[in-house]
Amino acid sequence: MHLAWLRLSGFRNYDSLEIEPDIGVNILVGPNGAGKTNILEAIAYGSKLRSFRSSPDESLVSTNAEAAVLRLGIERAAGEGRIEIELPRNGRRRVLFNGKRPQRSSVLAAEFPVVAFLPDDLGIVKGGPAGRRELLDELASQLTPTTGADIDQFKKVLRQRNSLLKQAGRSVDVMTLDVWDERLATFGARVLLHRLTLLTAMAPVLRESYATVSSANGVLGWRYDSSWAAGCTPNTPQSEAESLLREALLRRRERDMDMRSTSVGPHRDEPTFLLDDRLTRNQASQGEQRSVALSMRLAAYYLLEERHGRPPVLLLDDVFSELDIERADGVMALMPRGQVFVSSAREDEVPVGGRRWSVSGGTVT
Amino acid sequence: MFEPPVQRLIDEFARLPGIGRKSAQRLTFHILNIEDVDASRLSDAILDMKKKIRLCAQCFNLTAEELCSVCADLRRDPTVLCVVERAQDIAVIEGTNQFRGRYHVLGGSISPIEGIGPDELRIRELLGRLDHEGVTEVIVATNPTVEGDMTAMYIARAIKPLGITVSRLASGLPVGGDLDYADEVTLGRALSGRQEM
Repeated sequence: MHLAWLRLSGFRNYDSLEIEPDIGVNILVGPNGAGKTNILEAIAYGSKLRSFRSSPDESLVSTNAEAAVLRLGIERAAGEGRIEIELPRNGRRRVLFNGKRPQRSSVLAAEFPVVAFLPDDLGIVKGGPAGRRELLDELASQLTPTTGADIDQFKKVLRQRNSLLKQAGRSVDVMTLDVWDERLATFGARVLLHRLTLLTAMAPVLRESYATVSSANGVLGWRYDSSWAAGCTPNTPQSEAESLLREALLRRRERDMDMRSTSVGPHRDEPTFLLDDRLTRNQASQGEQRSVALSMRLAAYYLLEERHGRPPVLLLDDVFSELDIERADGVMALMPRGQVFVSSAREDEVPVGGRRWSVSGGTVT
Repeated sequence: MFEPPVQRLIDEFARLPGIGRKSAQRLTFHILNIEDVDASRLSDAILDMKKKIRLCAQCFNLTAEELCSVCADLRRDPTVLCVVERAQDIAVIEGTNQFRGRYHVLGGSISPIEGIGPDELRIRELLGRLDHEGVTEVIVATNPTVEGDMTAMYIARAIKPLGITVSRLASGLPVGGDLDYADEVTLGRALSGRQEM
């Protein structure tokens, strides 16, 4: 699957842009601030429906436009697809896939899977568990659309339950809370099992990826810390995981009423990555952490390629300047496989040939 | 900016759901060109409806009388009640010609984010009707959304102890469609709600 064309208007520094990228490697070269990353961001937005820089939607609209419009033509096994997104400065976002509103926002993640390597990927390893949960949930949605739906539903139920607790605190209507707990247990159990299934499938790929990007010894593995689901495996029956969460919610109920939020569930679980038995978050060197971050993206790429039978679109945002030769080789192994977009300030930093696009001042040639 | 009277009507139209600036202008200029009697007919229709339509005293459906046409119809089965979120939903179910009981309009679904709890909906009124009207079966026809599902569960919990049968509309495949066109979530629901043959 690949991006056949991209049209932008009023997006970041692009008043209007139209490109038809090569189906192989595309290299975006230009000075800092020219708008290279903005193009990668637009492509990723078409898949994830949010900015990979975590920018709010309003900030994607260029200062002299009323709305940003992104249009992406994608070529896939099932024929051509068209993604259209309108981000107004004020008001609601509009998303169309082949002219119709997708039933869930996670539809595009699976229809147009994208893997992005970003300069601050190190944050996934060094930062808190939220980034790692997000990485897993996002990848799980890209792999299976129904998983994305479960995750979306879990988040909705959680938002509703928190909102209920926030408004009512101790005076909450117990029967309403009971019913939300029931739903939270159902979807929370599913989210847990999706994550455990993914981590199990990811383990060998992760191990292998780490071995290719790092010559140092050490086996990259994972651990999933959860205050309510200890002992659960991907094979734990859904009903069993559900009762565990239901009981945990009940145990914490008093506390949740006082704190006015939900203190237990998959949104508080902590996936960690281990090098042998060291925590990569704070017991690994900077170099090792970089390799771990890279391995996670590589593993995501390989899993998506295997699941969909075709490689996902690869976005490399200025990564080569950060990598030594050894680690760059691991990324290079992905190069001939599918469509790639590389951004770089200096062309000689990119150790691969391809279609060259020169980016400057809101134009791309 | 148009002449104030024109702009005023454009602004009013633009306030309506599904009408943007451009459509509001198109409607306004259409009305500018029609006969005066046609314009009065439109404005009368709006005022007349606002004046006459109220909520059915029993089920909260829209009606011009004390009771709506369903509640007033003595041939309808009073022991079966279909619970819907909005009055519009009744017209859809009536269109099937398959339901011979009565309705109850909740007025929305439970959504703490929007500040809607059970007390904001007509759930207490529903419980009152069950006893009063000798209802033996309740069919919950709320939307298949997170909030609609929640509301259905809440109602089921409130009603079950009374010994009344509660069911929820099945969700599943569109009739006349191909399996491979169904989205995975719908198909998943259809699978878990499958029926023995």
